[in-house]
Amino acid sequence: MTRPLLIMFLVLTLIAGGLVIYAAHLRNRVATEEKRLAEQPKVVLPPATGPMSPVSLYVAFDSEGNLHRVQDSLALPEERSERSRTILRALLTRYMQDSSSHAIGASADVLDVFLLGADTAVVNTSAGFADSHPSGVLAEELTIASMALTLNANDPRITRVKILVDGKERETLAGHVDLSRFYTSNDFELLVREVK
Amino acid sequence: MLGARWRCFGLAVLFSLGFGAGMARWLSRSVVLAQPGEPLPLSVYSKSASYSVPLIALNGQTYVGLVDLLEPLGSVEARPDGKKFKLRFSAPGSREIELQFHDGKDKGKVGGDTVKLAAKFVVQDGRGYAPLSSVSDVLSRALQAPIRLNPSARRLFVGDVGKRYSLDLRSGTPSKLFISFDAPVNPTIATEPGHIRLTFKRDPVVPSVEQITYSDPLITGARFSEHDGAGELDVTGTSALMANFADGGKTIVITAAPSAPPLPAPQPAPAPVAVAPAPSVESQPKAVGPPRHFVLIDPAHGGTDIGAAITKDLPEKDVVLSLARRLQHELESRGIAATLLRNSDIAIPLDQRAVSANAAHPALYVALHAANTGTGVHVFTSSVEAKGTGSRDFLPWEQAQSAYVEASTALADSVMAELISRNLPNTLLTAPLRPMNNIAAPAIAIEIASPDNDVADIAKPAYQLQVAQAIADGIAASRNKTREARP
Repeated sequence: MTRPLLIMFLVLTLIAGGLVIYAAHLRNRVATEEKRLAEQPKVVLPPATGPMSPVSLYVAFDSEGNLHRVQDSLALPEERSERSRTILRALLTRYMQDSSSHAIGASADVLDVFLLGADTAVVNTSAGFADSHPSGVLAEELTIASMALTLNANDPRITRVKILVDGKERETLAGHVDLSRFYTSNDFELLVREVK
Repeated sequence: MLGARWRCFGLAVLFSLGFGAGMARWLSRSVVLAQPGEPLPLSVYSKSASYSVPLIALNGQTYVGLVDLLEPLGSVEARPDGKKFKLRFSAPGSREIELQFHDGKDKGKVGGDTVKLAAKFVVQDGRGYAPLSSVSDVLSRALQAPIRLNPSARRLFVGDVGKRYSLDLRSGTPSKLFISFDAPVNPTIATEPGHIRLTFKRDPVVPSVEQITYSDPLITGARFSEHDGAGELDVTGTSALMANFADGGKTIVITAAPSAPPLPAPQPAPAPVAVAPAPSVESQPKAVGPPRHFVLIDPAHGGTDIGAAITKDLPEKDVVLSLARRLQHELESRGIAATLLRNSDIAIPLDQRAVSANAAHPALYVALHAANTGTGVHVFTSSVEAKGTGSRDFLPWEQAQSAYVEASTALADSVMAELISRNLPNTLLTAPLRPMNNIAAPAIAIEIASPDNDVADIAKPAYQLQVAQAIADGIAASRNKTREARP
């Protein structure tokens, strides 16, 4: 082999080696970024202040396909809609624990609860609540039932619930359960009878 | 020497550019061979099932998915592995056969035999596609049965399943053409002045008499052709014709439609005369159509809407389509007609599903879903409030199901009883599930989850078959009740 060819061969080998190292570096960076996105910050409740009040949470259990009524204590704001929001955030926080009985997306949050008249609550959830929610009829129904029943259990005047996602109406939560409608007290009764 | 150096340098640059381009393609993971064209159905007829599978156009060739093709014929286990596509298939009562193909290669192995394909095998999104013109070769080895394929008509016959017919013209007033089959048939019948067309979509009718001409004053001829995945028998006459079934559906009698005036006979000279208007199709007696009692199976999701990710490589849309085909097969083997709302990987909006379902007027609507949480089978009815059957005529879109809640519940109970009898874990619930509230027919939704703690077991053929049989038996048991629910 002549000297120039040997040099060219070495140059090519170096370039190829460099590209392989660079490609591996890029793949590693993509994997790190994906991992970071998957571990987005979870909703953390503000530190409790003031006296603790008893609350009822309807907690979903995927393994059993039903809801359990669970008692908890929270520091609740005075204002009615903020109180409902705090309780729903406590419910979602439970679902985002590692050992949750009903896993939901890590970026789920309740942004606002608007009370219309005496009986209607409009719950505005974060985009991550729907975007990262597990897809499935039962999984989605348990989430909606859990939220609606929890609202009703802690404020019996709330008999109609509408769920928005990032301020907008959605057709379904994650491809199955209807989010375009108001849930009435009749729906709550049926769900309580079946899944409680 | 300098020239040689520059040439070497040039070669090095070209090599580097080529290498870099290859790496970029690998990094972007966007190597796309071809985009699938519009799916066209291939009608498949076998002793165990008649079904249709979508065809796709790739690289100027027509391809068919091997799993789609084989699934209704037996147990299929596909194992895509990068560019390799391995598939284990066993027909009922036969030994297991392994099929092995490689993306981009025009040779494969079926049960140890090498098969030469008419074009390169394609693996896309984990699915293996073989050229349509080669499926006869592949199937005959996999099924150990004779295969008849008419690629232009998109009809495939597995084994000796073709239904033959004989024609017997009996002169009289009026004349009658007796078309006798060796088994009952159920064609779609269309009439127009001077023609009656019998279209055999689900019956494996094969050409026995391709064309015949009669010197009869009423019936002048008959011609059989195959096209668009169906066989068609076109009977021509000088007057409007009608069809009657006899001998339990084994014989179709073509004769003159009553009170239909004969068509004006062709005149030898084209003299400018006033011609009476020909009788319209609406003025003629209605032809005998297919039975209206059928089950509409709606495999959820499709296309870009993958549904739940059951595993990394197994989307819900594929699981439910596979289950839907098994259910269709099980229903038809019980004598219940069944149609799939989607039989390929296409996206259909929720409202459009309800519109299509309501326009088809099915006896029953069954939506199929799959979940990656929980175990067993969940059966759902609509959560809409029940209303009396007297309110069916005008119902709000969101409450179309309300008049059918009772029949839907009876159907769900019947399916549940079959699941329980098979010891399949089950749950019966109501759900605010789209688009069930918009369906104007007895409707249930079934969500299948894994039978155990391994979520991938949801795709096991034996499990899917067990679930499909339970649903089909439940539907068969409730048939009389749901038939009464239709207006």
